[in-house]
Amino acid sequence: MIVCVAVVGHQNNPLYIQSFTKADDSLKLHHIVHCSLDVVDERVNNPKKSGLIINETFLGLLNPTENYKVYGYLTNTKVKFILVTTDLEVRDADARVFFGRFHTAYVNAVSNPFHIPGKKITSRKFAERVSTIVKSFGLSSSS
Amino acid sequence: MAPAAPKSGDVIFASVDRVNAELFTLTYGAIVRQLITDLEEVEEVNKQLDQMGYNIGVRLVDEFLAKSSVSRCVDFRETADVIAKVGFKMFLGVTASVTNWDADGTTCSLILEDNPLVDFVELPDTCQGLHYCNILSGVVRGALEMVSMKTEVTWLRDMLRGDDVFELQVKLLKQVPEEYPYKDDE
Amino acid sequence: MVREVSESCVESLLAEIVLSYCSGFYANKPELAARRIEAIGFQVGHQLSERYTMDRPRFTDNLEAIKFICKDFWSELFKKQIDNLKTNHRGTFVLQDNRFRWLAHMSIDPSVQASGNIQDPSAMAENKSAQATGMHLYFPCGIIRGALSNLGIECAVSADISNLPACSFVIRIKA
Repeated sequence: MIVCVAVVGHQNNPLYIQSFTKADDSLKLHHIVHCSLDVVDERVNNPKKSGLIINETFLGLLNPTENYKVYGYLTNTKVKFILVTTDLEVRDADARVFFGRFHTAYVNAVSNPFHIPGKKITSRKFAERVSTIVKSFGLSSSS
Repeated sequence: MAPAAPKSGDVIFASVDRVNAELFTLTYGAIVRQLITDLEEVEEVNKQLDQMGYNIGVRLVDEFLAKSSVSRCVDFRETADVIAKVGFKMFLGVTASVTNWDADGTTCSLILEDNPLVDFVELPDTCQGLHYCNILSGVVRGALEMVSMKTEVTWLRDMLRGDDVFELQVKLLKQVPEEYPYKDDE
Repeated sequence: MVREVSESCVESLLAEIVLSYCSGFYANKPELAARRIEAIGFQVGHQLSERYTMDRPRFTDNLEAIKFICKDFWSELFKKQIDNLKTNHRGTFVLQDNRFRWLAHMSIDPSVQASGNIQDPSAMAENKSAQATGMHLYFPCGIIRGALSNLGIECAVSADISNLPACSFVIRIKA
């Protein structure tokens, strides 16, 4: 289950963060997102060490903690997407599908003429789309 | 020689030079946002968009008549139909429908269910008085004026304000007969 | 299927931007009009580069980003690529389109060809139609600057039409 997704600007400024748990653990989740940003920077600056295909937007698993798996994605415009899940077994393919859909939703949200670059994404449409994408996580490419 | 039969909107749209709609949509959005910054008052922005549309309508009518082989429509009813089926399709790639005629045939509504101008657009709370698509009402008014029909064009429904369709009411105020240089009896 | 509109729609908008800002609000202030038109282009370029880079790996350097503008980006806008790319290898790039579409349908005043560079609109203020042609180019200049800015490249962009119907866009990357 996805418990949190985030969009972070190129100066590590949060543009959108949403948790999907009933428990009041958003502070903890925000902290996890925050910590993962350094890992993203490190990955991107040392692609060889982390075994990445050079400059691929999908960054893979960032930092497995005891209870969570955190995945990252970096767009050409230096915007980071972070995905936090409680699933123990996550297939890369599922994470890729998720980020692909999420990226499309993000691009449509920032295509709104009233969106100001670098400011928080307040679009209701975006929030609805994200919630749909989160619900369908792992369903499409499984089985 | 008999006039060429009017072409359908689909046929004309397939034959004109076309561009990626995103460029058009985003350019229009950037214009609206820049106008809001420069003019400050939403009402002024509405007026400016209408004026820009009017200018475009006046210019586009020749291209429209030439490419569509539509001979000048005499009847307002027929004209409204041609705008909806051929005009919108030829320029925007979408078709409007005509409804809500009044008894004497001088007022009707153009209904748009799909409108490339508003792809991606969400109005902020500060712009609730904005008629985002006001350029379209200006285009219709300008084009009709060039074929001697003076109209008043008003938005009745707007999807950006939560309505299910866009509804543009077109009201014929005056039909100026075409002027000829000589009187008949001379 | 990719959604399309008639090219006349885009050209009409472009003509109206120039008319509104140059003859309307800022009739006697061409510098201000130019800045507004460029800003409209900037927003469009910023949003388009977000869209058009979606399915590709990140660029490794400036040259790769400029090549993207010349090829994919230009093709999306004009259904053709930039014809010639030159660079001095010190941050200046010249992108030449041999037949720039947005000038193709305009009647160009010969005096503009003489003055050529649009970096100084006030110099052309005495000739309204020459000024209008120059003003048309602030929009594509803004698009290029906005697109590159969103890719992390801050630059200045100007246009040169001394060689019509060719149009060259000069990109100077800020060190």
